[in-house]
This record gives sequence, C-alpha cells and structure tokens, in this order.
Amino acid sequence: MIEAIPTQFIIIFVGLLAVMAFVGLNAIVLVYLERKVAGFIHRRPGPYEVGPPCFPHGILQPFADGLKLVGKQLFTPRGADSILFWLAPMISIAPAIVCFIVIPFGPHLQIVNTNVGLVLILAFTGINVLALCLAGWASQNKYGLIGAARDISQGVAYEIPLLLVVLSVVFMTGTFNLFDIADGQGAWPWQWYIFYQPLAFIIFFICALAETNRNPFDLPEAESELTAGFHTEYSGMGFACFFLAEYAYMVVASCIIAILFLGGFQGPVLPGGWWFLAKVYVLLLIMIWIRWTFPRVRFDQLLNICWKWLIPLAVLNLLITLAVIAI
Amino acid sequence: MENLEYERLAWALLYGHIAIIVIGGFITVLSQNLVRALVGLIMTLFGVAGLFFLMAAPFIALMQILIYVGAVSVLIFFAIMLTSAWPGGDESGTISVRKIIFAGLAAIAPAIFLGMAAILKPPPSFLIPDEIEVGILGRFFLEDFILPFELISLLLTVAMAGAVVLAFEMRRKK
Repeated sequence: MIEAIPTQFIIIFVGLLAVMAFVGLNAIVLVYLERKVAGFIHRRPGPYEVGPPCFPHGILQPFADGLKLVGKQLFTPRGADSILFWLAPMISIAPAIVCFIVIPFGPHLQIVNTNVGLVLILAFTGINVLALCLAGWASQNKYGLIGAARDISQGVAYEIPLLLVVLSVVFMTGTFNLFDIADGQGAWPWQWYIFYQPLAFIIFFICALAETNRNPFDLPEAESELTAGFHTEYSGMGFACFFLAEYAYMVVASCIIAILFLGGFQGPVLPGGWWFLAKVYVLLLIMIWIRWTFPRVRFDQLLNICWKWLIPLAVLNLLITLAVIAI
Repeated sequence: MENLEYERLAWALLYGHIAIIVIGGFITVLSQNLVRALVGLIMTLFGVAGLFFLMAAPFIALMQILIYVGAVSVLIFFAIMLTSAWPGGDESGTISVRKIIFAGLAAIAPAIFLGMAAILKPPPSFLIPDEIEVGILGRFFLEDFILPFELISLLLTVAMAGAVVLAFEMRRKK
C-alpha cells in the first residue's frame, strides 16, 4: 500500500511538517530576540527572571508566553460572526506555511523546486490581507473594523511597488525560479543583485515592512490608538495564530530579500544553509531594530510615501532596468 | 494495477475540486450575510485555481489566487465595509417560489449551453496536460494575440478613468 503513494507527496508532507516546526522555532527565537533587543534599546534588561536560576537571562520567557497563550480560554465576543471569527486566524497562518515549501534554504535544501516559486509566494502572502480584514470585520468591534480598513488600504497600496520591484529583478534574471535566482549570483557581495539594484532593494525592504505590518507601518494594529486593531477581540490561540503568522511572514519576507538581493545561499567558505540563515537573521534583526527606533507614521503619510514616492520610483527603476537589458 | 490507483486518485482530486467549487457557489448565493457570501466566492475561486493546477497550469492558478483572492476579493470586501450591509439587511426577507425557479433557470442555462458546446464540439486537447513555460505564454500574448490583449488593457484603462471621473463628480456635488 505504501508504494502506491507517490514520492512527491511524501516529500511535501514531510517538508510541511518540518516547515511547521521551523515556523514555531523561529517564533520562539524571534519573540525572545524582540523583547531582548527592545530592552537593550530602552536601556533595561528585558525579560530576566523566568524559572530556576539555571536558565539565565530569562531564556525560558518565550516558552512561558507560549504556555500562557495555549492555556487561555477561547472567547467569542457577543454579536460576532462566530464562523468567520475563528476562520480568520486559520486563513492567516495556513498560507504562511505554504510559502516556505518553495524557498531554497541551501543548495540541496528545498522542498519543491518549481518554476513559479516567486509567484507562489506573492500569491499566498496576499491572502493575509484577507484574513486580517475578516478578523476585523467578524469581531464586531469598532477598533477591529478600523484596523481592517487600514489594513486593506495599506496592503493594496504597497503591493504595487513590491510587484514592480520584483518584476525588475525577474526581468534581469528571466526566471521566477527562486533557486535559479539565488544560483545566478556569486559568492561575494559585489556579485549580488543588491549591487545592481540598490534602489529596488530599498523599495522592497520598505514594502516588506508595510506588508508584514511592522513598525513604523503597523497602522492596522497600532496599540496606542486602536487597542490592538484587528485582533482586539482575540484571546489565547486565536491571537497566537495571528502572532505566529506575523513572524512567519517576517521570515518569508527576509528570505525573499535574501534570495533576490543578497545572493540567497551563496557565500564564501561556509556551507550555503548557514549563510542563508545568517542573512535572514541579520534582516530580521534590522526589522526589530527599526521597530524600536522609529515612531509610527500617520496614515496619510503612509499612503503618501507609497503613492507619491515608492510607486514612481519603482516604475523608474523598472524602466531603467528594461533600458539596460535592451541595450 | 498501479495506474488504476493513480487514476482513482485523479478522479478523487477532480471531484474534490468540483465539490469545493459547487459548495462555495451555493454559500455565495444562499447566505444572507454579504461577507459570508464573499467567503463562499473566495472558496469557489480557490477551487478553480486548484483545477488550473490539475491541468498543469500552475502559473495561471497562482495568478488566479494573486489577482482574484488577493486583490479583487479584498476590494469587494472594502466595498462591503463602506456600505452598511449588516446581517438582517435587504437580503434577509423571504423570497417567493417564482423568483427561486427563475433564478435557478437563469443559473442552469449558461451551464447547459457551455456544456453542450464542449461535449458536441470538443476543442483539440491532450490526455495528459503539458506544462507550458511562462516565457512561451508571454510570447503567445504579445505575438499571436496582441490585438485582443491590448484591447483588454484599453478596456481596463477606460474603466479606471471612468471610476476617477465618477469619484470627482461625486465630490463636486458635495
């Protein structure tokens, strides 16, 4: 009976399990990093004393956080649309896991090598906007609704420069295959595409911050004005799913930046997988650094940055790329 | 024996997708809440994307998800949020039987016509689909079918200009 199952299915199944473990592990590490870096920037120690003294520097804090979230009661607010309310966190986390199956973590470490890998990631990360607005709408809460409305206008606006910038890299390489894009770059930094497309890198990074709702663009959840925005009414694992999804999308965004602009798994001396992980974590640290350094932008500023600066610059970048390719 | 197993798997997948599309369609039509109807529509769109995957056209399937699920549905959602379409709105009253029959006929008619056309005059096709590269697809649009392709772009531009003009007129009235 077991021979009747095609090998490809088994690879995808095992790969998905591994990806889920990776997403969970990343969330644990990132929660700890975020709180420690925040503490460092605020000149305080951050989480410090959790559990017995043999675990220094509050290293058990993310586990305690996780246990707390698992143990909390699931609560559906009165008047909320209960089906959509609980569907939304699932729609948020599921596509994030799918995105990882096409990412080449190393020269031999990729679950599915497909010719449309980049399109797959763009398509599945777009679903998150839908999940967030379902959450905001279904919880029948004014803060949730405002958060959802903000998320739509932000997500739709920032998708345009993001796609234009991705297009300019795709025109340069002539493929959507993430492995080929990473493979086409050399081991040294001056052979990476950031050297050819510096403007594209900056635009992509800003758009990635906006698409993952990270500060300074965290308008949909803006805790100081909207309580918690779209996830105000969520408790326990409902909230944890959004939280996991946010960190998973951050990791996906960092992976894409690393592949498109920083050579992916290419690097001197060390084996590829470690280079990839190092690049991804440097990008994640920069994202955390930005979060605790810059204040949140106002909503009109957010849209002005996109429509008046990023989109024209992305179009210009695309036209210059095309001109250079044509010559 | 092994081929038979695969064939059964293929049929199961096909009917699974058809079931998703049909159930999503019924949710869209029958639910009284506009947002739930939208979720049904999204389910249908996902099912159609899955059918494209089964036909070995992953690029089109992903474009379906990117454009219809990621952009069009989200904009429909935005439009719903701008109206006051709460449950218990205009759609929640009882409907007469005559209306249901006419609506059913109107829904079945295109299905019958298209089905008849597909069965009586089947287009030439392969038993096992080929995956076509994105580059060939682009060439196809910009060489053989350039006129319809550009006409569609023109249509979209006109629609967008019309929307902008309408928005400005609404603002002037205020």
